[in-house]
Amino acid sequence: MAPTGTQSTINVKLLLIGNSSVGKSSLLLRFSDEQWLPEDESSATIGVDFRVHRMDVNGKKVKLSIWDTAGQERFRTITSSYYRGAQGIILVYDVSSRESFDALPRWYSELETYVSESVVKILVGNKVDKEFSRQVPAAEAAAFAQRMNSLFIEASAKTSVNVQETFREVVEKILDTPALWDNGASKAQRTDGGRGGVPGGVQVVGLSDEQAEQGGSCSC
Amino acid sequence: MSTELPYAADAEVSLSYDELEVLRLQYEREQLQAHVTVQTKFNYAWGLVKSPLREHQVEGVRLLQDLYRSEPARRRECLYYLALGHYKMGNFEEAKQFNGLLLEKEPTNLQAMSLGQLIDKGVAKEGYIGMALVGGAAALGTLVLAGLIRRATRNHK
Repeated sequence: MAPTGTQSTINVKLLLIGNSSVGKSSLLLRFSDEQWLPEDESSATIGVDFRVHRMDVNGKKVKLSIWDTAGQERFRTITSSYYRGAQGIILVYDVSSRESFDALPRWYSELETYVSESVVKILVGNKVDKEFSRQVPAAEAAAFAQRMNSLFIEASAKTSVNVQETFREVVEKILDTPALWDNGASKAQRTDGGRGGVPGGVQVVGLSDEQAEQGGSCSC
Repeated sequence: MSTELPYAADAEVSLSYDELEVLRLQYEREQLQAHVTVQTKFNYAWGLVKSPLREHQVEGVRLLQDLYRSEPARRRECLYYLALGHYKMGNFEEAKQFNGLLLEKEPTNLQAMSLGQLIDKGVAKEGYIGMALVGGAAALGTLVLAGLIRRATRNHK
């Protein structure tokens, strides 16, 4: 359904993806708790982590479920099942790691396999606090994002720069994308069971819509 | 703007039948070839532990225990899912033990902290149920006893 009602809560599912240790969990932690853990204290995500966050966007009540997936290669084959029903994807790289930026095409090709084109994407260059060791120019990343039909922002979970903005921009765009709310289209958005998976990976994609129902039923 | 507590997603969300099937088939295929890769075994164990069926959880925990012993590099993941598996089976003591081992190595691990909260809640709930049972049994016992005494006194007359 279109998010027209001002009274009821709109459920939005977001997914954080990107290489290991680019700061996906840190962005989420900063966004939801206004906290940040120093590098030696933060630990690699095991499988998948999940948070619920409520916010008001343009007068609408939005309940965000944010799925934070492990960036480690060994979880790639099993976390793919979490793409199911996502309306927004936050792709994260580390501006001080060329490698994490160069890995983006692989993440985008995974997206192509699992989500429909109408799903909102935002590319986030994290760790701008490390300006002195920057390896990825902002202009280059912005051009890439444009080619990939994604929003673009640079942020820092450490200094809190642009963290709220990242999430807000995605949610605003999602609310403005009728294809994501139209019932017919959301069927098409269901992850595709027949198109094959990531090269070399086990395909674990959903065939059922229970996830979507789960997300849509709660108006608490 | 409010945030709910972090929450061990894996505790609640299970795979669909088809998803688990993919993992199981891969595992069995490799078993036939007499070489099961660590990844395949781990994936299948992960899927089993997330299942709502107890027999799946038991099998998942068994596989994870194997992996824990044979693959030191996978220990942190195994600890987490061992704790989760035991939690889902209601073995809170074991769950606490495995989760505690993980927290010992990573005291700030948010997922382990969140799972720890779930386990504590489970223990508390079990405690209430236990107390209710004991309380119920005591009440019932009193009734029976009262009945017996009444009957005894009546017979006496």
